[in-house]
Amino acid sequence: MQQEVEMYRKPTRILHWMHMISFVILFLTGLTLFIPALGFLAQDSWARLIHRIAAVVFIVAPLIYIPLNWKSTIAGLKLAFTWGADDIGWLKAAPRYYFLGDEKAMPPQGRMNTGQKMWWLIVLVFGAIFALTGLIMWFGKTSASPAVLQGMVLLHDIAFIVSGSMLFVHIYLALIHPMMTEAWKSIYKGKVSAHYAKSHYGKWYEEIAKTKE
Amino acid sequence: MAEKAILYDATRCTACRGCQVACKQWNENDEYIPTVQNGVQSKNTGSYENPPDLSPTTWLKMEFNEVEAGGKVRWLFTRRACMHCTDAGCVRVCPNGSLYHDALGFVAYNKDTCTGCGYCVDACPFNVPRYTRNLVSGIAKMDKCTFCTTPGLNRIAEGYEPACVKTCPPDALQFGDRAELVAIGTKRVNDLKAKGYPNAYLYGEKELGGLHVMYVLEDHPSLYGLPVNPRISTATMVWKDVLQPLGWAVGGLTLLGLGFNYLVARATIKKEKEEHNATRS
Repeated sequence: MQQEVEMYRKPTRILHWMHMISFVILFLTGLTLFIPALGFLAQDSWARLIHRIAAVVFIVAPLIYIPLNWKSTIAGLKLAFTWGADDIGWLKAAPRYYFLGDEKAMPPQGRMNTGQKMWWLIVLVFGAIFALTGLIMWFGKTSASPAVLQGMVLLHDIAFIVSGSMLFVHIYLALIHPMMTEAWKSIYKGKVSAHYAKSHYGKWYEEIAKTKE
Repeated sequence: MAEKAILYDATRCTACRGCQVACKQWNENDEYIPTVQNGVQSKNTGSYENPPDLSPTTWLKMEFNEVEAGGKVRWLFTRRACMHCTDAGCVRVCPNGSLYHDALGFVAYNKDTCTGCGYCVDACPFNVPRYTRNLVSGIAKMDKCTFCTTPGLNRIAEGYEPACVKTCPPDALQFGDRAELVAIGTKRVNDLKAKGYPNAYLYGEKELGGLHVMYVLEDHPSLYGLPVNPRISTATMVWKDVLQPLGWAVGGLTLLGLGFNYLVARATIKKEKEEHNATRS
């Protein structure tokens, strides 16, 4: 059997799926207010109720994960904010890489490639904005001023437009793009083949190969 | 059909609050119902004004403004209820068109399709819509004055005037074609000016594209607690007119881009594989 390397530990994968499922539910129930033609789905507040249940999962899941997986949390946060020359290289090489499969100009990537890091940053920043503005709208509806509440709606919706659109990209790259053959495996089973890790995350693969020796 | 309206003459009003009672009676809105969330309980605050605020079951409320001027106290009465604006903030933000303008110019709403989002509550320049809302579940429904056009309780369709107008003893409330009421109100304001009320004003003639509830005031609107120049907030404008189309554009273009990427990537990568296999064999 081909050698495999672990990309995501089980708690991380569980957090991913809790967040993914809750976010998709939040996205769809939010969409009913954003597209007037879907408005009938929201009537009688059902979308509001489901939105709130999903919101609790969305907020509580990371709060449980963080203290239990302190090391992974720190490592993950570090990853999001560590940027270098290879990221510029990725940005330059990305169009030819993702459209034409041209791997020559693509610098070897670390634990996450630059695109994944951008998505990870969006998740962190907009996740916090979603939670904060949502909680104010939920519990401050009768105490906050109308101007504040309207501002919260606008912020919530800007976050919705950005992260919702990027969610399409995330799902597309994970499941559909012809080169991302094992992205799904990495977050479903946690492991990818050594070959896939080497070709997609060269820098990271070398690091773990070294520590193994 | 000609636009209809209510003309409220504050200078004729005795603040008997008969309109408040008639409104509740006709629209079957009981006084404070403990089971209705955000219901407002009546309480004695040392004023004739009661209940303290509009609520999901109080669509009309008389206000008693005490204004001190020149050592004298003036008692200025106002009517608090939906103003049925032509440019209505609530209609602008209602996500699924539950709030809309009907043929007579009133701001009507379909309570069955109301999602309970409460955007109208924050968008109203007059702070009128109220809703029942469960804090935990978020389940909510908006209510406000329907101009007595609630289905099943529709007085206007039957050719009657609204309940508040019907009951008003000093005829401070009138119902009719909006254009006619503007003429009556203007004449009354001019009469008041001639009688020594230089600040007399017909409120609602021009505000927000014209209100369908207009007030004859003997003094400046601010003394009555009315917004002097009611405006639709930028946030109200932006949501449906800018942010939503922007969202559809960004989301749609992203999906198109991904589709395009898939077609190109699949074709080139397939070709490469074939070439690769060809050189091998």
